[in-house]
Amino acid sequence: MQDLPTAVLLELAKVGETTSVNLAEAFNLDVQRIVGAIKSLESLGDVISTEIYQVKKWQLTKEGEEVLKEGSHEARIFSKIPAGGIDQPKLMASCGAWGKIGFSKAMSNGWILIQKTNPQGAPTVQRKIDSIEDQVKAHLYLIKSGKDSSVDDKVKGDYKKRKLLEEVTEKHYRLRSGPNFTTKIEKAPTELTPEMISSGSWKTTKLKPYNLDALGMETGAGCLHPLLKVRAEYRQIFLEMGFSEMPANNYVESSFWNFDALFQPQQHPARDAHDTFFISDPQTSNRFPEDYKKRVEKVHSKGGFGSQGYGYDWKIEEASKNLLRTHTTAVSARMLYRCAQQSKFVPQKLFSIDRVFRNETLDATHLAEFHQIEGVVADYGLTLGHCIGVINTFFTKLGIEKLRFKPAYNPYTEPSMEIFSYHDGLGKWVEIGNSGMFRPEMLLPMGLPEGVNVIGFGLSLERPTMIKYKIDNIRDLVGHRVNLDMVKRNPICRIEKAGDPEERRIQMLNKRFDKIEERLDFLQKKMKCLGVKPVAASALPVGEGASLDVIVKSKPSRSPFSLAAMLKLMRKTFKISTSTHTHSSVDKPGSLKLPETEVSRASADIRLTLIYADVDNTVVTAGQTRIQGEENVLRYLARLIDQKTDSGLYETLPTAQVAVIDSVLDRLVDTSKHNVTTTVSGLINKQSFVAGGKLTLADLLACSLCQQHNITSPGIQAWSKRISKQLEL
Amino acid sequence: MPTISIKREVLFQGLGQRYTEEEFDELCFEFGLELDEVVTEKDDNGKEEVVYKIEIGANRYDLLCVEGLVRALLVFQSKISIPKYELSKPGKLERLEVDPSVDCVRPHVIGAVLRGVTFTKERYDSFIELQDKLHQNLARKRTLASVGTHDLDTIKGPFKYMAKAPKDIKFVPLNHTKEFTSAELMELYSTDSHLKAYLPIIRDSPVYPVIYDANNVVLSLPPITNSEHSKITLKTKNVFIECTCTDLTKGKVVLDTLVTMFSQYCTKPFSIEPVETVSKGQTSVHPTLKYRTETIKSESVNGLVGVNQTPTEIATLLSKMCLESKVNKDNTITVTIPPTRHDVIHPCDIYEDVAIAYGYNNIVKTTPQTLTVAQQLPINKLTDQLRESVAQSGFTEALTFSLCSRDDVAAKMRKKIENIPAVHIANPKTLEFQVARTALLPGLLKTVQANRKMPLPLKLFEISDVVHKDLGTEVGARNERHLAAVFYNKTPGFEIIHGLLDRVMQLLEVPLSMDKSTSGYYLQSSEDASYFPGRAAEIVAYGQVIGRLGVLHPEVITGFDLNLPCSALEINIEPFL
Repeated sequence: MQDLPTAVLLELAKVGETTSVNLAEAFNLDVQRIVGAIKSLESLGDVISTEIYQVKKWQLTKEGEEVLKEGSHEARIFSKIPAGGIDQPKLMASCGAWGKIGFSKAMSNGWILIQKTNPQGAPTVQRKIDSIEDQVKAHLYLIKSGKDSSVDDKVKGDYKKRKLLEEVTEKHYRLRSGPNFTTKIEKAPTELTPEMISSGSWKTTKLKPYNLDALGMETGAGCLHPLLKVRAEYRQIFLEMGFSEMPANNYVESSFWNFDALFQPQQHPARDAHDTFFISDPQTSNRFPEDYKKRVEKVHSKGGFGSQGYGYDWKIEEASKNLLRTHTTAVSARMLYRCAQQSKFVPQKLFSIDRVFRNETLDATHLAEFHQIEGVVADYGLTLGHCIGVINTFFTKLGIEKLRFKPAYNPYTEPSMEIFSYHDGLGKWVEIGNSGMFRPEMLLPMGLPEGVNVIGFGLSLERPTMIKYKIDNIRDLVGHRVNLDMVKRNPICRIEKAGDPEERRIQMLNKRFDKIEERLDFLQKKMKCLGVKPVAASALPVGEGASLDVIVKSKPSRSPFSLAAMLKLMRKTFKISTSTHTHSSVDKPGSLKLPETEVSRASADIRLTLIYADVDNTVVTAGQTRIQGEENVLRYLARLIDQKTDSGLYETLPTAQVAVIDSVLDRLVDTSKHNVTTTVSGLINKQSFVAGGKLTLADLLACSLCQQHNITSPGIQAWSKRISKQLEL
Repeated sequence: MPTISIKREVLFQGLGQRYTEEEFDELCFEFGLELDEVVTEKDDNGKEEVVYKIEIGANRYDLLCVEGLVRALLVFQSKISIPKYELSKPGKLERLEVDPSVDCVRPHVIGAVLRGVTFTKERYDSFIELQDKLHQNLARKRTLASVGTHDLDTIKGPFKYMAKAPKDIKFVPLNHTKEFTSAELMELYSTDSHLKAYLPIIRDSPVYPVIYDANNVVLSLPPITNSEHSKITLKTKNVFIECTCTDLTKGKVVLDTLVTMFSQYCTKPFSIEPVETVSKGQTSVHPTLKYRTETIKSESVNGLVGVNQTPTEIATLLSKMCLESKVNKDNTITVTIPPTRHDVIHPCDIYEDVAIAYGYNNIVKTTPQTLTVAQQLPINKLTDQLRESVAQSGFTEALTFSLCSRDDVAAKMRKKIENIPAVHIANPKTLEFQVARTALLPGLLKTVQANRKMPLPLKLFEISDVVHKDLGTEVGARNERHLAAVFYNKTPGFEIIHGLLDRVMQLLEVPLSMDKSTSGYYLQSSEDASYFPGRAAEIVAYGQVIGRLGVLHPEVITGFDLNLPCSALEINIEPFL
């Protein structure tokens, strides 16, 4: 016997058109097997063409199946009653959960009756009639065998209520022969084999197509930890900037190097047990360089090196206490001291990224240990300007360009600065690090020459990483509770790239459009040489299901306010998602931000993106189309609407009117304030709108230009109110 | 950093101008303050008021009250000139006589008098609030210094500062009507949420410090409380301030700050009456309100800040920061540091004020010419290279804490804590931070435990530092860079872990020593409590034991709440540097 798919094809060849249900009947097979055969035929290409249709069908529930097998609950009750009757409790005990319902149905059917003969004893149940007909079972049998049409709908409804039946929707296939119809199936091989290669049979073999919608197999590779991937990036940046790595592999430190060497007074709150982990074993250290220790003691208690000192009794016992270092600046202090001991001072650029410890209250963003990133530059004649410059270079390499500095206090730096960066996502300035110039009271006792200044800056590794990967709880990033799946899914770390996938998408689109623009420019020049006249661009059609990216670039000083007005009109026709971005070529966005819509990017017909960038003229890019000038952007968008409905703004109007609009648009090509003021005022003196008595495209442009120039004469204000009112309609 | 709460209306009234929140935030930012939060609070009459919470630099005690903040901002904006604080010269000074008995508990006292003060509710609250801020920050929770303020018209000098046995001091404390001995007060305040924190400062001392007036009326029991008798009220005109301290320098700063801020409300503003202290036959007069001068060169300022300002410009900038400055004939600048600016202890503090007044964000960014050749730390370079290679071998990297419980490194690993060279933490807040880890394996096993739901096998590794107590080093402990890996599956997979070791050795170019000599690495059977008997080996490289591998003991596995076999490896990679 031939296989099922072949049988299906032969049957199809015979009857011309059939369905999965018919086939199941014809072959007396379960419909699922037929569906399997159809699927395998579909995978062959165009042998058959299929179409899915849905059929509602009654189906027995588990309880219904039981009834079909055992009889209805009421019939079973009836059959359990012997000729002489039975005690009710005894009867019920012999039944399952179905007993109760069966009993009440049998009662209401008038099959049985209850007799209370003995006042003390239990009631007995008697048969009321001699024999019964189990109609429920018979009905269910009919339904099961596909003859459900012979059962009354009302009855089926009742059975549904009794949970004997349920209504299911079945998917069936309608089959016709396809363009490559054949009854002979060549079973397509799935993979290329060594035999095919050696025999050369691959030349004639047709491989089964791959399902490209499925995911590939997991690679099963080991992965590096996300935080340490970020650490590697920071390390790389320091190395690129010529910074050498400090040996920070000593977590246990003495108070002397952690605090006293940094001119941090012994009563400073940071030296409190509430903030610092002290060590009980090994409790103290005392091998400090003797003369250096004396200089430190003096500068704290009495001053010197130009300083008044703190004027307190400095105690070696306090300095000897061991602790877990609270900052890697302790390491920097050791390195600077070492540097001062050399016979000749050599300029230094140093960094470290390592763990530090704080006995702090733990919360979602704070742990008792974290990684500190620290950079230090030591040289003659360094200034605060250098400090800002170094920090700026460092953060630029991280992709952070908007920085500002706030005066701050730190016991070992003066001047001290907190570093803030503008976070686009949060829309505010956030603190990202600390910096300053180390105090002379710290440097001079070490023996560093006068005139050598030292820049220091630091930040935590965890915080920027959490922001980058949008992790809210630090325990999801470090420690043993980290989810290994997160570790596996974590992308490679490209620190300078925007963290937001949407931002990256825009960047990629931008790049693509830049390339298209470049090529278009080239082709236009070529056409000019050949003397070909370019054809005006028409709007790209927006098809069903397809979506269009429309990107408008504009100078921040020339916010295209008309876009907001157009958006209002376009939203009546299209599902539009919007976003507004600022390109790195400009400092600040323009004053117009496109109102956000509730349409998601994925479901939008048009994805409208406004980018503020360093461009000469407002320009729109959509597909391969690129048009310059705000007036032409408006023309383009109006055409987009006109494809679907009449915008009533431009080309759908009578030709004479269109000519008037065009002339107004042309007069406004000169966008100087003077021209805009005189042109618009002149026109609206005589009529309600710039191109006559009706709102047109020309008004949107003119109004936008007036807003850009901040022109607010009473006449213009009244006119722009009229426009807003019309737009609301 | 301390945060102060200021009512917006009071602030704007003081500044003589209204600001939007953004404008005020901007002003704060430039001056080095941070507008932390804006909240709405109900005042005593149930009226809603907007309150600004402003973060102040920890060294600027002169900004801890609205008076000082407004004064500094107005000077910064060149709207007022810098006030001049003066000592008045009354015929007879109030006197504090110090008895030597205080030496063992709180040795110093100094005082001052503010005459003709006009209090309002706001001013009174601010006065109390400033004392509290100074107690908390500068005076380290009253341990270093504390002040008591009294209505001078209710008491009579000279005042005696002495120490007496707790039961011998008896008075009605602030906000009470009944007399208590100081011993009883210790009991009374032991449940007081505000005061109980200060009790330990004197509680165990055999004698407590106390100040009496000429009529033996108790003024205060420093640093705990004052007497109800001399309490200042809104009607008080003359305020007597006493400041007792263990650190005289801090005491002077506290007193200077308090009097310079609130002498603003005296009949003669900014005029302060000093008080003499007589101790062991020596008389000293406080506050001194000392104006200190510092002469600086414009080249030094420009050289540190990275700007190019003339001496006159620098003097103008400094005046904005309350540092009166004048340019001398030789172009040096003499800067006068007022008694409000105890934070200025070095010329570099003055340079910073120039930079702040100039505006940090107006300074031109420059790149230092410093030429250096970057060097990686060899151990970190090796670590990063090995991390890549181990991950390429199919193991996923974990990042575990360097602190853990004693049980993690000892009991759970079937070892005794006494035998482990662990560094112990003296003041852990929780069990998780009792010791610095001595091995990476416990952290890896905890990671496995937290990820039991992941598909098997779990293959994890970590290359990181452990800490060993080592009395041969300067601090008595040292870090050691370890590589550890675990394989957790239904079968122990010893061969997998062994394979990883072989791979690491291959990468480090250490050959297998077939004859178990110093020519390379080999395994030697060796029992260890953490491993299953007969399933553990030491790893010897070039004759040195560098670590261990094997199948973990079932009690270790269950100790970490696991239930499948697990093989493990941990080696020290420092010998391969």
